[in-house]
Amino acid sequence: MSSRPVRSPWGLPLLLAGLCARSVLGAAAADHVNFSRDILPILSDNCYHCHGPDEEARKAKLRFDTKGGAFRLKDGKAVIVPGHADRSELIRRITATDPDEVMPPPKSNRKLTAKQITLLKSWVTEGATWSQHWAFVPPKRPELPRTANKRWARNGIDVFILARLEREKLKPSRETGRERLIRRVTLDLTGLPPTPAEIDAFLADKSAQAYETLVDRLLASPRYGERMATDWLDVARYADTHGYQMDRYRPMWPWRDWVIKAFNQNLPFDQFVTWQLAGDLLPNPTKEQRLATAFNRLHLQNEEGGVVEEEYRVAYVVDRVDTMGTAFMGLTLECCRCHDHKFDPITQRDFYSMSAFFQNIDESGQTDYFNGAMPVPTLLLSDDATDAKLAELRRAISEKEQQLPTLRAQARAPFEEWLATNTNGLGSAGLIGSFALGNMVSNKVANAADPGKPANAHEEPKPVPGRTGPCAELDGENGFTFPGLGHFTRADPFSLSLWLQTPVHTPRSVVVHHSKAPIDAGSRGYELLLENGRVAVGLHHTWPANSLKVVTREPLPTNEWIQVAMTYAGSSRAAGVRIYVNGALAAVDVIRDGLVKDITYEGGEPDLAIGFRFRDNGFKGGRVDDFRIFNRELTAVEAAQLAGLPPGPREGLFDYYIATVFPPALKLAEELHQLRGEANKLVNPIPEAMVMQEMPQARPAYILKRGAYDARGEMVSADTPGALPPFPADQPRNRLGLARWLLSPDYPLTARVTVNRAWQMMFGRGLVETSDNFGRQGTFPTHPELLDWLARDFVENGWDTKRLLKLMALSATYRQSSQASPELVARDPGNELLARGPARRLTAEMLRDQALAVSGLLVEKLGGPSVKPYQPAGLWEEKAMGAPKYDQGHGDDLHRRSLYTFWKRTVPPPAMITFDAGERNICTVRRQITSTPLQALVLLNDTQIIEASRQVSERMLKEGGTTPGQRVAWVFRLLTSRRPTTKEIRVLEQLFSEQRELFATDQASAAQLLAVGEKKPDPALNPADVAAGTVLAEAIFNHDDAVMRR
Amino acid sequence: MNRRDFFGRFALGLGGAALFGLLNEKGFAAPSVGAHPFTGSLAAPHFAPKAKRIIYLFMSGGPSQMDLFDYKPLLNKLNGQDLPDSVRQGQRLTGMSGNQASLPLAGSIFNFAQHGQSGAWFSELMPWTAKMADELCFVKSLQTEAINHDPAITFFQTGSQLPGRPSMGAWLSYGLGSANQNLPAFVVLLSKDRIDQPLYARLWGNGFLPSLHQGVQFRSGKDPVLYLANPDGISQAGRRKMLDRLAELHALQFQSLGDAEITSRVAQYEMAYRMQTSVPEVMDISKEPESVFELYGPEAKNPGSFAANCILARRLAERNVRFIQLYHPGWDHHGGLPAGIRRQSKDVDQPSYALIMDLKQRGLLEDTLVVWGGEFGRTAYSQGKLTATDYGRDHHPRCFTAWMAGGGVKPGITFGTTDDYGYSVVQNPVPVHDLQATLLHLLGIDHEKLTFKSQGRYFRLTDVEGQVVRGILA
Repeated sequence: MSSRPVRSPWGLPLLLAGLCARSVLGAAAADHVNFSRDILPILSDNCYHCHGPDEEARKAKLRFDTKGGAFRLKDGKAVIVPGHADRSELIRRITATDPDEVMPPPKSNRKLTAKQITLLKSWVTEGATWSQHWAFVPPKRPELPRTANKRWARNGIDVFILARLEREKLKPSRETGRERLIRRVTLDLTGLPPTPAEIDAFLADKSAQAYETLVDRLLASPRYGERMATDWLDVARYADTHGYQMDRYRPMWPWRDWVIKAFNQNLPFDQFVTWQLAGDLLPNPTKEQRLATAFNRLHLQNEEGGVVEEEYRVAYVVDRVDTMGTAFMGLTLECCRCHDHKFDPITQRDFYSMSAFFQNIDESGQTDYFNGAMPVPTLLLSDDATDAKLAELRRAISEKEQQLPTLRAQARAPFEEWLATNTNGLGSAGLIGSFALGNMVSNKVANAADPGKPANAHEEPKPVPGRTGPCAELDGENGFTFPGLGHFTRADPFSLSLWLQTPVHTPRSVVVHHSKAPIDAGSRGYELLLENGRVAVGLHHTWPANSLKVVTREPLPTNEWIQVAMTYAGSSRAAGVRIYVNGALAAVDVIRDGLVKDITYEGGEPDLAIGFRFRDNGFKGGRVDDFRIFNRELTAVEAAQLAGLPPGPREGLFDYYIATVFPPALKLAEELHQLRGEANKLVNPIPEAMVMQEMPQARPAYILKRGAYDARGEMVSADTPGALPPFPADQPRNRLGLARWLLSPDYPLTARVTVNRAWQMMFGRGLVETSDNFGRQGTFPTHPELLDWLARDFVENGWDTKRLLKLMALSATYRQSSQASPELVARDPGNELLARGPARRLTAEMLRDQALAVSGLLVEKLGGPSVKPYQPAGLWEEKAMGAPKYDQGHGDDLHRRSLYTFWKRTVPPPAMITFDAGERNICTVRRQITSTPLQALVLLNDTQIIEASRQVSERMLKEGGTTPGQRVAWVFRLLTSRRPTTKEIRVLEQLFSEQRELFATDQASAAQLLAVGEKKPDPALNPADVAAGTVLAEAIFNHDDAVMRR
Repeated sequence: MNRRDFFGRFALGLGGAALFGLLNEKGFAAPSVGAHPFTGSLAAPHFAPKAKRIIYLFMSGGPSQMDLFDYKPLLNKLNGQDLPDSVRQGQRLTGMSGNQASLPLAGSIFNFAQHGQSGAWFSELMPWTAKMADELCFVKSLQTEAINHDPAITFFQTGSQLPGRPSMGAWLSYGLGSANQNLPAFVVLLSKDRIDQPLYARLWGNGFLPSLHQGVQFRSGKDPVLYLANPDGISQAGRRKMLDRLAELHALQFQSLGDAEITSRVAQYEMAYRMQTSVPEVMDISKEPESVFELYGPEAKNPGSFAANCILARRLAERNVRFIQLYHPGWDHHGGLPAGIRRQSKDVDQPSYALIMDLKQRGLLEDTLVVWGGEFGRTAYSQGKLTATDYGRDHHPRCFTAWMAGGGVKPGITFGTTDDYGYSVVQNPVPVHDLQATLLHLLGIDHEKLTFKSQGRYFRLTDVEGQVVRGILA
């Protein structure tokens, strides 16, 4: 375990990683100063804040992050004179005693140590060689170093490790015992401990390939995919809720299941990355490739009422860039959101150029509160059967649509006949509402078309003289509602018509709508608005990506009565919407045309309304009159008539005839309506997943000054940072091109970052300890050549993750005993040199999964919706606004592997958090490893541990032999994967008999203990025995060898 | 001295004793458990602290400053008139009232009067608090960057609007450590039944700091700390025996492996065992004298009420817990403000007064800093309809009020002023980072020097901002 003692705040020593490392890194006695390893980190940490890449923060126009800057001559003074420390201004200033002279200045809170000063002096004296930061230089496959010991190494890894050990005059440790080895590798590769039978088989396998056979078996196990996915969920900040405020459920687990599958199928890592970054942009992408892009959408999503939408849209884009930076580049790009990077050669312009790749999706910064709809854009997760049914319906719909021209031809003759005999003019077919809005009588307005459904006046609209009689004048917060009318689905044709007068042009005025809210409800429903005087008609499932919207090109005149009508064909297409202004068809622009789900609300339709809307701009100062609702698509001639125009040309009447009289056309329309309704019903329940879906037109991208969403600076275009290899000329400037850039052979970071994370997984710490930062502030690799060798090897072998892990697992380095002499611990407390094997605490997931596995409770089922196992009562309820309650699962749901545990971001599973699981709010590639009293409480008192202990106890009584000695030894081995020593058996026996005594005299307590958890105890067993065995098992669950993999 | 007493002095159980016998046998250096109380990451404070601990009474949701403390008679005069553009100056509003057809100014319907020598203004909603006017240091010019609950409260607790940074209490725990062997340095208490905006575990999270600096939520009921209680059927005596055997096993393990991790684990188990006593002990207020319950008011015996939590805060302060954070939600009065704020004020008024008086009587106020306030203020105009008896107020980040008392702040003063509309700060603005810098300062910490390196960057609570508000320091 890469840990060293630190004191806990509660007065106790603790071990934890990553703090104040007493590193063994750095120049060995005889070594020369290495610029990248020894000098650059000092300059970066102490100087770059004021003399680094950030131009704004740069003092005295002096920079040390470039060679030109560091070696410049100014006012006759040279900062650095190679070979002459005494003539170098740098050395003079860092050794100055005058507080006004000394660098870094005292008020910077930075101070060089004596050792750092010595290093800087030696470096200048030795000639001040300058090189690029190591991580920005493409890795080359290094030669294997020579070692004196020719027998120890098993593969390339070991040669590099051994060479370094020999330089340090250290010897590798012996191979660890087989029991520890199988426990270590089984936990590392599958996240679960080996069973006694597996241990026995391994011990019995005397072949030379026994260990390799074991590793192959583990890599082939489906548990491997679950284990790998667990880490990837941290990287992808995967969670089952949105994270902000209400923190609502988001069923994104299909993406999680894809990750498990991808690892199990050993999808090459370059494709794993490409699919996730840009699967939607691959040629003819499969559903899986599109689903993979959810990786970019798993950040928090805000649904808090009243947020500024753009503020959070920007936050999401920023998170995508940050995540890509940490996950694939090992760089802290997030630093550049507000300013040029203080340490690394990444500018603020670079940051926003990168963000330009990630913002071209049709999304909203505020998500739907009222419906809880999945934030758009989404992928419909339909199964094959549904897809087939849908395809069939679409075919039928299109067939019907194509029949219309034929029908029109057939209708000519009957039309002439009808025309000759029909003298009644146009009827009012489909009219279901007709309101003279100025005629309010005790807050009601009569419905001339359906007296049973009058309108309600809301908050006293004012009757004023209107066009012909009284009309209603509105104040922006008042208007009318029309209960029971206009609840249309997207499959229903309908039309609206009214007279209106607007006093001014505003960015937005709500005239008519059938919805609960604009942004808070994803605008679900339909609406007729004025946007800067233009008539805008929208039908929305979830704005913006699942919507259709058209807007007239010409604004309406102000202070003039205008008749406005909209008609809709029921086709879910923008072309199906027509807008008539004063009876004439208006030219429109199509703003959106992507409506694929319904415009209705599950559970409670709102009232159709005029003049006002929740959290929206009402029709302030507007006047309205003569509002009509039709449950069919009006024809042009009818629209003209509504506007009081004289009867139109004959062709218009022909359309009217087709639409309202000609029986075959009426039949066709009804059939079409039916089919569209069926398709709608079929599509609506299909679950959705957030994905990337590139917009046809890229959004303009800007530098945001200080990172503020509303402080747009210069415009930028999609590009990669200038300090890294150029964007490939033959690639598209989109996420796909970006992925290929990340994976191109000369790109220095992705492969290094990836193999380093694999190393961290197998050895507890990365070759670069700061696996989240490969920049200048990151740590220098303990074994730079090995890192490069692994990176090249990984790429040359097709980014084969299983092969990479196998290489590590088979290395002699990995197989070493983790036991260390006090001398070695003192020499290398963090085990950076790897003269011993890795010892680490089990992760939060492993600890629980181990308890489930050894007790026989574990339900192994790959994938599916997340589950809610035991957790202390009331945790969700006391923090959230009433709902949702933690609805704990039962049966199988209690005993699934921990990666399936429901992850609520604002109240994460407490036992997991206690054991250092990440909060899943941001991309995390490295967990802390701490040891706290709260962890002890979890392992001692968590219902799951108690229930598992009881199950272990029952197993012990049935399978663990007959004598107390056999039994305690059996349990010990089950839980720790090793046999106890004689001394240990004696203590265990004492433990059991002491507890046995307590429970024998206190049967009630035994019964209580046995009742913990939902799994029923075996009534055939003696309760005192089971209870004592439960405490025994519990103790062993808390034993070092159960908590650690050594 | 019996064996238990002997080992108790070393804060260890019997198993620990067995362990240490073995340690010495093997020649490994025994870890100095309990020998030197932890002093945090800072070897010493940067300067002499004025306060040893903070009790933060967080009024979650955003109390209306102009209905409680920031008296604005002009609003009554202009009641119903639109907020002038000259006052708003194009500042952003939330999406909740930003689209309202009008923004009618709303004068408070509550009566205001001046109290104490200091002449501080209080509305009739805070009669008890008014009695201690001369103990209080008002800051009426707080400003925040966020306009919605989640980012605003996250910003207040962590110095950043985006989730992921350590909270204030975690920073203090990291910097100063705990002054108590048996309790965590950072304890959180939530009021029950008042949630109108959610709270989030991340508000007392450790961010990138080691997880032992996480705030530990103490709850009323059987399990005051998660997983603290033994499972049903396990007695404390049975648990003790089991832990002793476990410690023996660990002693054998240490003998075999020599890894200090093992001794550390034993110590953690002993600490956990002690917490099983120390936490219920501090949470049990039943033995408080009747006079205390009278002081804290009618809700004082109701577990999970703000009043009961204030008593707990005092008990935790007595035990030197470094950062005691109370959350009292329910202040988010977008509509129906008069009724809502009446109830809220009743919840907190007397208990807040009682807490200050109680601390004072016990000599604890001089080194305990008490802070009262929310994540933002509320608008001068009404959200929704303004009537003669009812109105609501939207979130307002540009000025709001908090009060402090005790360790290191000037009593009986008001710092910062707002304009007559209660819309903007006209004098001595105090951004949230400045308040945070000041709180650290009072505990002896230079906020620019308490840093943690994560991903190569030195982070601090106050990000890249923050100036100590000298004007309020005693």
